[in-house]
Amino acid sequence: MLDHLLLQTIIIPVLCSPAIILGRRVFGKKAAWIARAGLLYSTLLTLFATLQLTATGNPLIENYPFAGPAVTMNLLGDGLSLPVALIINLLCTALAFYADHYIDHRIEAIYGEIDQKTSVNHYTRFYALFLLFPTGFMGVCFATNLIGIYFFLEILPLPLYFIMAMFGYVDRVRVAMICLMWAVFGAGFFLVGSVIVYYHTASFAVASIAQLAGTPSAFWVISMFLITIMAKMAVVPFQVWMPWVHAEHPTCIAGLLAVYANIAVYVMLRLLIIPLTGDFQIFSLPLMTLALITMVYGALLTLGQTDIKRFAACSTISQLAYSMLGVCSLTKAGIDGGMFFFLGHIMSKTIIFSTAGIIVYTTGIRDMRQLGGLARKMPLTTALWIIGAMGLAGFPPMSSFPGEWIMFTGIFKAGLMGSTSKLIIAIAAAAAITLSVVYCFRSVKIIFYGPLNEKFAEDRHVKDPPLSMSLPLLAVAATAVTLGLFPKYILDLFHQVVATIPL
Amino acid sequence: MQLYAWLAIILPLIGIPLIWAGARINGFLRNTAAVAFPIMAALCALRLFPLLLHPEQLPLESSRIWITHPFTLEIGILLDPLSLILTLVVSIISAVIAVYCLGYMKGDPGICRFLMLVNLFIGSMLLLVLANNLLLLFVGWKLVGLCSYGLIGFYYQDDRKYWIGGPPGEAPLTTPSFCGLKALVVTGVGDLIMLGGILILYGYAGTLNLMALYHTAPVWFPEMARNPNMVILVSFMLLAGPIGKSAQFPLHEWLPEAMAGPGPVSALIHAATMVKSGVYLVARLMPIFYIGRWVADCPDATIFFTITAWVGAITAFLAATQGLVAKELKKILAFSTVSQIGYMWIGLGVAGLTQTTLVAGTSAGIFHLISHAIFKACLFLCAGSVIHAAHSIYIQDMGGMRRYMPRTWLCMLIAAVCLMGVPPLPGFWSKDAILLAGLEAHHIPIFIIAIVTVALTAFYTTRMVGIVFYGPESRHLQDLQKKSPSHEAPAIMWGACALLALMILALGLGGPWAEHLLHHNFTLNLTETLNLPVNSAEPHPFNYHLLVTCLSIGGILAGAIPAWLLYGSRKISILIQPKSVINELYVLFWRRWYIDSFYNRVFIDGTLKFADFIALRIENNFDTLLHRRLPALVTENLPNLFLRLKTESENFLYIGAYLMAIIMATIGFALWH
Repeated sequence: MLDHLLLQTIIIPVLCSPAIILGRRVFGKKAAWIARAGLLYSTLLTLFATLQLTATGNPLIENYPFAGPAVTMNLLGDGLSLPVALIINLLCTALAFYADHYIDHRIEAIYGEIDQKTSVNHYTRFYALFLLFPTGFMGVCFATNLIGIYFFLEILPLPLYFIMAMFGYVDRVRVAMICLMWAVFGAGFFLVGSVIVYYHTASFAVASIAQLAGTPSAFWVISMFLITIMAKMAVVPFQVWMPWVHAEHPTCIAGLLAVYANIAVYVMLRLLIIPLTGDFQIFSLPLMTLALITMVYGALLTLGQTDIKRFAACSTISQLAYSMLGVCSLTKAGIDGGMFFFLGHIMSKTIIFSTAGIIVYTTGIRDMRQLGGLARKMPLTTALWIIGAMGLAGFPPMSSFPGEWIMFTGIFKAGLMGSTSKLIIAIAAAAAITLSVVYCFRSVKIIFYGPLNEKFAEDRHVKDPPLSMSLPLLAVAATAVTLGLFPKYILDLFHQVVATIPL
Repeated sequence: MQLYAWLAIILPLIGIPLIWAGARINGFLRNTAAVAFPIMAALCALRLFPLLLHPEQLPLESSRIWITHPFTLEIGILLDPLSLILTLVVSIISAVIAVYCLGYMKGDPGICRFLMLVNLFIGSMLLLVLANNLLLLFVGWKLVGLCSYGLIGFYYQDDRKYWIGGPPGEAPLTTPSFCGLKALVVTGVGDLIMLGGILILYGYAGTLNLMALYHTAPVWFPEMARNPNMVILVSFMLLAGPIGKSAQFPLHEWLPEAMAGPGPVSALIHAATMVKSGVYLVARLMPIFYIGRWVADCPDATIFFTITAWVGAITAFLAATQGLVAKELKKILAFSTVSQIGYMWIGLGVAGLTQTTLVAGTSAGIFHLISHAIFKACLFLCAGSVIHAAHSIYIQDMGGMRRYMPRTWLCMLIAAVCLMGVPPLPGFWSKDAILLAGLEAHHIPIFIIAIVTVALTAFYTTRMVGIVFYGPESRHLQDLQKKSPSHEAPAIMWGACALLALMILALGLGGPWAEHLLHHNFTLNLTETLNLPVNSAEPHPFNYHLLVTCLSIGGILAGAIPAWLLYGSRKISILIQPKSVINELYVLFWRRWYIDSFYNRVFIDGTLKFADFIALRIENNFDTLLHRRLPALVTENLPNLFLRLKTESENFLYIGAYLMAIIMATIGFALWH
């Protein structure tokens, strides 16, 4: 059962997908439990692999031939990929539970009064598509081949496209198209970068990228991959897709969209910084500058929002730039902290977005100005939002606090050891966190504090959501707090890989 | 001994889930949990008191590794005179206030949340003062800020009765939720700049452990000083956090609004404890910069002390002037808090300006911290009782309250006299020690500001006591007596006030002994443990101590006598002409020197307008360009272009397709190999 452990984490979800479609006639909506069970199993597998790695220190390597020696499906579970995969799997599982009521509500809102069979069809279709996310994410985490990573990165826009088109909000088909076109845009550059690597090394293996170190081609490879990464991470000036795509998706996958965007940091580290450390140096300062601009721009953009979902979406732009700033500082602390912050961010963003979903689900209102005073009727939801806000603003004991601290230690170190420009960026970035505090806690004030909207006072539907929606989010919050109190376990794993980078 | 320090931190935190669980069963269990754990924490702290009598045993440290990669960080506690004094002050006053809360908050639907936040605050504050490194200190720092936010905005539903500001028609009113946010953001600005300073310090020192920072400073400080202006930059950045937390100029504007929280919150957080964390941190960082100045011989390090002293002096004066005209009872006390903390900053600032004032300035600043914590907590608790009884936050709605609340009056009078600095109460000893240190440092402008502020303090304190407790009853109070007569606060509330008043009297009588104890502790700590070089003071041409005492008492009389005649005995009255200088000054002080309105206009309105500009103009236009116009261009115009090309060159499309096929085949071939 524990053989081919990494492969199982990729394959199991995608196998559950047709099982749901086939099983819907027999089990109806209960077929969704196939997805939840599959994801629970997959999460446990990842947890087991992580514990094994912690105990032995030996990375898990699984070799699978695919299309000749150039294109393999070899998988690597090391100190970098396994913690990332574990947290992502946990989020997928939590959201699979959370989505139960939410997606029912969306189906009703979009398709109106429909018969039971059609409703089941829509419901199970969502879960069948949803399972492509964990497959894609696990593939990106574990693949050791550029074509493999490309393949899994390109799987991800498919469920995004279809779920958006079928279950999204405003102008959903057009936004689905925007999402797909941006994915294709990024993919094109990724493919070109991969082909350049192959042209020079006759291999698509990630390990072979290091052969380009010190050659002029390294610059072009880094440039091509960086365009993809920046497009995925919504770095200014590629940010424009994020508010639409992030905000108009059903919120039960919005947390995964944050993963979809943020995983590009992992890709950058794996494909560019580890193998081409020296060549990446000249990109460090421009990327840190762009990250700072994105942090401030994203934060101001967030402050300017009145739509609760666009608020969460725009904050992602700003938050993603933190990880990028840390990793691009090219210090070990910056990289460790940036990756740890990435995990903290995806957990906090899942909580914030899902809570926004709860509010929209309960009140039917997205305009924050029409909300207000909800804390009186929705105390648990308020607590969840505040926990998410604390995570985004980097308050202890959330995991983003140690992430931010370690990351900024690295960023300041880069400033003190390197150019004055980096020190200025470091100081400006630390001060810019204030904007995160402002938009996070201002949203608490607008949505939850103040007098209760009269419309909600008598509305019996305006109350905390069912436990199936809040418990998964509480579990994510508990994980974020646990990691905040005990970051050592994850940081030690990261460091197994980061220590090998010649910095 | 270290175990008691750990327990003092942990016990209030254990109380939090137990309060929640107790509330699910009954109110008694909830209340028991709410007071038992702070009291146990105070007992643990008291168990540490003997260490202050034997300071040669200090410092004591206990720590464990938190993370080892990418660098080693530990969590631990440090027991030295500074942390011990703060631990005692915080834990004992917190325990007294926790008991008071049970009476004050009785019947409030949010009492469980309130008590949980109070316990979290106590644990976090003790973590802050006992931390042995800057990381853990920063954790406590952020957590107390968060608790403060939650407690200021406690009445989050923003019922009109909880709005502060005004009186209605005279000044704008503010909601509790806004006040909480303002406090969080303003202090947050300072916190994050300070974070940068800490990380630069870490970049040079390679450690965050406080004792290691002190001991290695002679090595790394000169290295930092080699970088032009780096010491000045770090000084500014490190002081930004304490300036924000202690509500010092220019980040002082949040504290008056923090009075939107319940009365005990103002006493606990915004008078006795949290606002002192800035003073504590300055005292913590002082040895580093002292070493930089007097051991490493880096003149830039003086800037740390100069900023501290001047910020303190400016704030003490600014806030006192605003206290002169304030109309809300708690706001007068808030301005007073800001002003008095300014005195502490003066003490710490002048401590490092010369080698003769280190111990005197430090012990004076910390002594004033202790005495202020007690008398201001007492004043705030009494103010809470008075507001409860008068059903109004404005002093003009009170008057003659002495006859309804004799016990509260007596307690408040003792605390108010102490605030003015009347001998032999502790406020006198501690304030005089600061003034003396200022004079000995030969910082005459700061000394003069401090003396002027003594007179202002005496004036606003007497005015407050006079209007609230003496003179005729206000119309509001007369109306209130017809509906529900005012009466003395419940025993649990006045009992807490009386306990604090007794502490004031005790500390006053033992003032010289306490001053000596502090002096002895800091002498041992700073000169022997940390090995800081000090010189003994040069003989003065005349008795500085006598001069300071005379000037101080003269200042008190200069402020208190006119205030008493105007507001207490009401034997004189002034008619202020609309265009007179006094009126101009009144408006300036009432408008808070226009600083708050400037901040509102520039930082709040400015940021929000800029955010709207980005969201509505830049982003929307960019979005339209990329997601509307570009697709339209491609889908509508490109086919026309192709059609035109097809007409002009029949084979164009075929050639394009052919080229495409070749590119695809090349990629396919590359993949195959």
